[in-house]
Amino acid sequence: MVDAARHPKVDIRTYTEVERVDGYVGNFKVLLREKSRYVRADRCNGCGECARVCPIEVPNYFDMNLAPRKAAYVPMSQAVPLVYNIDLDACIHCYKCVEACGKLEAIDFSMKDKLVWEDVGAIIVATGFSHFDPSVMPEYGYGRYPNVITAIEMERLNNTAGPTAGNVIRPSDGTNPRRLAIINCVGSRDKHFNPWCSNFCCMYGIKNAVLLKQTYPDMDITIYYMDIRTPSKGYEEFYDRAREMGIRFIQGRPSMITEDPETRNLFVHSEDVTLGRVIEREYDMVMLNQAAVPQPDVDTTSSVLNVTQSPGGWFMEYHPKLRPIDSPNDGVFLAGACQGVKDIPASVAQGSAAASRAGRILHSDQWEIEPIVAVVWEDRCVSAQGKKCGICAKACPYGAIEYEQGKAAHVVTAKCHGCGGCVAECPHNAITQMHFTDAQILAQLHALLAERPEEKILAFRCHWCSYGGADLAGVSHFEYSSNERGLRVMCSARMDADFIYEAFRLGAGAVLYSGCHPQDCNYITGQRLGAARAERLMKAFEKMEMTPGRFRVEWISAAEGDKYARVINEMQAVLNSIPKEKLMEEIERLRPEMEKRARRLREVPQVEEALEYSRQLEIAMVGEEA
Amino acid sequence: MAGDNGHEELRIGVYVCHCGSNIAGVIDPKAVAEYAMTLPGVVRATDTLYACADSGQNLIKQEIKEYKLNRVVVAACSVRMHELTFRAAVSEAGLNPFLMEMANIREQCTWAHGHDPEGALEKAKDLTASAVAKAAFLTPLQMMKVPVTKRAMVVGGGVAGISAALDLGAQGIETILVEKQPTIGGTMAQLNKTFPTMDCSI
Repeated sequence: MVDAARHPKVDIRTYTEVERVDGYVGNFKVLLREKSRYVRADRCNGCGECARVCPIEVPNYFDMNLAPRKAAYVPMSQAVPLVYNIDLDACIHCYKCVEACGKLEAIDFSMKDKLVWEDVGAIIVATGFSHFDPSVMPEYGYGRYPNVITAIEMERLNNTAGPTAGNVIRPSDGTNPRRLAIINCVGSRDKHFNPWCSNFCCMYGIKNAVLLKQTYPDMDITIYYMDIRTPSKGYEEFYDRAREMGIRFIQGRPSMITEDPETRNLFVHSEDVTLGRVIEREYDMVMLNQAAVPQPDVDTTSSVLNVTQSPGGWFMEYHPKLRPIDSPNDGVFLAGACQGVKDIPASVAQGSAAASRAGRILHSDQWEIEPIVAVVWEDRCVSAQGKKCGICAKACPYGAIEYEQGKAAHVVTAKCHGCGGCVAECPHNAITQMHFTDAQILAQLHALLAERPEEKILAFRCHWCSYGGADLAGVSHFEYSSNERGLRVMCSARMDADFIYEAFRLGAGAVLYSGCHPQDCNYITGQRLGAARAERLMKAFEKMEMTPGRFRVEWISAAEGDKYARVINEMQAVLNSIPKEKLMEEIERLRPEMEKRARRLREVPQVEEALEYSRQLEIAMVGEEA
Repeated sequence: MAGDNGHEELRIGVYVCHCGSNIAGVIDPKAVAEYAMTLPGVVRATDTLYACADSGQNLIKQEIKEYKLNRVVVAACSVRMHELTFRAAVSEAGLNPFLMEMANIREQCTWAHGHDPEGALEKAKDLTASAVAKAAFLTPLQMMKVPVTKRAMVVGGGVAGISAALDLGAQGIETILVEKQPTIGGTMAQLNKTFPTMDCSI
């Protein structure tokens, strides 16, 4: 911590939150809110006189609310930076602190939150984790029995800098416990709460047991466990050491804790797998080794920093094996437990790894990005003909389109991230996206539906999420109907209504419109644009009395392989449930309407060529009769 | 018809990967290659044991020259896996990297339809045809170069964030370490000693 404070290149901004991130790799603009401390950092010398005279006491979050702090405070004595804060919610404005501060004049009640923009080339997200609250498990009595505490509360009790100066006492009577139970996997590996293993708790429980045994050699300590997981370097040896010290290990997940209301002692009811029977043991104190869970504000962080989540709320890496440090957002990297539970050695290693990944960009003078940007065909833009439009500019999540009536819309290439939303929204087909042009997508569509289209499920997927979900379905070998035919675009925003009409015109049995969950969208609000369009399409098809289920809209993350497979199989079941003649009849009935709706697509440059090519392709694929 | 300038003759090469048994264990890549050979614009189609290996990449590079290919389709794994690999390969053979298109016949075909080899083969052919169709309309593109602001931001001042900030600092990069609490240290600072060495956490 002090190394960071001392480092001339590291600028620590505490009590500060990220409000907004704009820009792109190499060129991010980050809006920071430096919350007002009411103490001027440049004048405070950390003497603590203000806290000494402050008459108000409130619980200290840093001590897990086991001890008070003043309204003028630092969370802990080794705080970095050592600058006091005034907690205005608790302050009664007696101004004794101002008096105590005297000539330093560091306390300033007129301070306001400061908003600052910072330009950076790369961002590392290291927002950490939070602790599972075991009070939602009534069987363990946390919150009801004073002598049931959590592991992190034990950390504060058994810490010389903590509220009891390291004296481990029972909250009920202040005595030292003689018999202590440590229960592992509280809220972890538990399908009611969190399915994951919290990674470090086995070692963490053993560590606390060893530390307590060193301080209190007579303490009788029992660890209840499901499995002991000590795979890293030196960990198994540490576990051996704990057993040699006389710490008892019982394999069994306690079903219940009861309390003697007189003594406040606790009875832990559990199975002992080794003995093969149910046991009940009495303890003076119980420590719950609670699960590690994502930060409560993970959704906000996700959308502000534009990083997607894996199941459970951990931030998702680009690829679990090949690019475990990169987020899917170029220039944004992940470090520590926010990406998935990990212990200190792994967090430090990942921090260094993230610095190295970011260094690749930050040591370059220029960085290359894919040229999959939008381009306006100026001669087709109605604005250039003097008509009022501007739909493209409204669709753009990045404000990358300059629109002025009388001039053709202009895409500022450096600002364009290539979602393709404007391309799909333009009612005059006057914009295209490089590498995902209408002609290219149409040629693919025709190829996929060349043969027996009525049997096919055409699946539009966004690159970042649902394409990844389909990949994961395959990687996990979740099998689904082989009638699925996938077509990838960068974002659901690019899924032009014309493509969907064209797919049905060609006689597709079913069409899936899929992309990211709204908070996961790689293009801020691209998914919302796609979702609104999908809703309009759904309504149009309802009006046309299309069999429900032939057009389906699903948001599938790259971590939801099981969902992708399930959705496709459900769509196959819909197709199976429609008698073939009825399906063919419906396709023929809707064809003229679909043709009418998709007709404007034919005006797009290169589309005629694509259709001509597709005709040849179809002949090659199915013969002359096509 | 669909070349860079609208007049160039299409010369598409299609490479169907076995990926060991990952693809070839379910479908016959040769059958896909033979099928691809019948598609308009395709002048060369063949199978390869591992398209991503040196041998596979060299085959593609060599045949780009030999067959004067102006588009390449690789029917193999996910674009998330090897799109950059094959873009680099075609680029080394003098072709614009954006004139390469992939068909995902592994993750999204043989791995997902392991018990339906017939359906998988039909799908692999369609996915390859779809990639060929897109390839016919690909145009050469240049990567965009953007300037780099040589400063970094680390969000979160726990042990991972501090480690990242110190390493960036040591690389000479000005780094802003943002922490929402009044002190850095995160969960680590709340701990007593840390395993397995039992040293102080701060």
